[in-house]
Amino acid sequence: MKFIKNHLMFILPLMAILLGIEFYLVFERTTNTYEKSLKEGYSMLVVTKKPMELSAFQTLNDHISSAEQIQRESIVSEVAKGVSESGSEEILAALPYFYNLGLDSYLHTSGLEKIKKDLEAESNIKKVETFGSSYQSSYRLFSFVKFVLKVFIAFMAVVSLFLIMKQMEIWKYAHKERMQVMEIFGAPLMLRAGVLFKVAFLDALFSTLLVSGIFLYTKLYWASESGIEIMTQNQEALFKFGDMGILLGAAILIVIIAVYTVVFSSKGVEE
Amino acid sequence: MSNVIHASHLTLTYGKRGKEIIKDANFSIKKGEFVFITGPSGSGKSTLLKALYGKLKPSEGNLVVGGLDLSTIRQTKLQELRTHMGIIFQDYKLVNEWTVKKNVVLPLMIAGYPTEIQETQAHRLLKHVKLPEHADRYPLELSGGEQQRVGVARALAKNPVVILADEPTGNLDDYSSNVIWDLMENACQQLDTTILVVTHKIPTIFSLPYRHFIIESKGVYEVH
Repeated sequence: MKFIKNHLMFILPLMAILLGIEFYLVFERTTNTYEKSLKEGYSMLVVTKKPMELSAFQTLNDHISSAEQIQRESIVSEVAKGVSESGSEEILAALPYFYNLGLDSYLHTSGLEKIKKDLEAESNIKKVETFGSSYQSSYRLFSFVKFVLKVFIAFMAVVSLFLIMKQMEIWKYAHKERMQVMEIFGAPLMLRAGVLFKVAFLDALFSTLLVSGIFLYTKLYWASESGIEIMTQNQEALFKFGDMGILLGAAILIVIIAVYTVVFSSKGVEE
Repeated sequence: MSNVIHASHLTLTYGKRGKEIIKDANFSIKKGEFVFITGPSGSGKSTLLKALYGKLKPSEGNLVVGGLDLSTIRQTKLQELRTHMGIIFQDYKLVNEWTVKKNVVLPLMIAGYPTEIQETQAHRLLKHVKLPEHADRYPLELSGGEQQRVGVARALAKNPVVILADEPTGNLDDYSSNVIWDLMENACQQLDTTILVVTHKIPTIFSLPYRHFIIESKGVYEVH
């Protein structure tokens, strides 16, 4: 019972940290797609007096990645229904040129304002519409969710680290006597801490397998059966086998730090 | 005969304030000698013993054990030196979660001896200290005298060059104390091991020729 309790006291906080890391990885993957779609879906409308090429827009601001001209004929055909052909031609001649501009990255309002200013400085450009407010509200919500999740993961990691350190104190007292005696008789560090490393590495492996199992189950079974759109859409991003390596690496790093803490804190104690 | 231990102008300090315990001590101990170090409580007997197994570094002078200067020794060399030492403590310092047999073969385990040799040696040593039937028991199931015999067996396990003993009979009754002194006399006579014992009183039953040092007023003096 004591043995199981000792292991669980290490495995559970370690699992909490690994869950945090995996959540972070999954969130980064899914939000990357979302961020990309926001970026790709966004464009600003520019009205010019004369036709302009993409390179001309890019000389004004290098964040502009694409320029798609809106067909003036289709606008005329919409607004000039019932008007004679010559009338339509006059409207077409008087109509300015419309462009949808795409950006190379996801920008804040200040970034958008800067682009607007740069474009408006060009005399050929009559009007720039950034659609900043709707874009910004999506961006803010997205940033807020991302921030909250990161804070939660960081908080969970800190609390778990404290729990691991508490457990290390218990391990320190449980193994101190043996490690001191072994040190007196000349045992090198790896031999003194051998048992601790063995136990901790097993716990690390067990925690990694459990966390990977949870996410793999979520990906393979729960996501498709849940009916939650965001889950089904991002099913592939929920777990990748490469994550297992990252989780195991993180767990081993924590284990090494934890064991060395125990070994070195038992060293200075009076014999 | 060569010196196993040699101290020259040795000064030992202790604690954060660097309180001087031993000052300008000079002495040498040869191979196969049995040495008692006595002195009043707090005179620095145990501090000197700690310095001899490298737990405490000399603050001045030199302390050479087995040809290695402990004032400048590296950690790996110190570990190696300790594998050639047997150390006996007043409070036994046995690992309570290990069996008696495992405690006895600890020095062999550290030196990487095969399990079969460890088994044979454990049997021989426990027979030598008259505890063969206790091999699979745990230290806390034994009496103080028996635990100290396990401590002696562990100290002898690897035929050490030197055995350092800190008040080895301090917690024992007369009968158990006599058994321990017998075992140490045997080790010195039969194995030619240098034995250095820190104690507050030299046992009256002791029959071997020995040297006696006393620690007084921070100095280490030989009593003739």
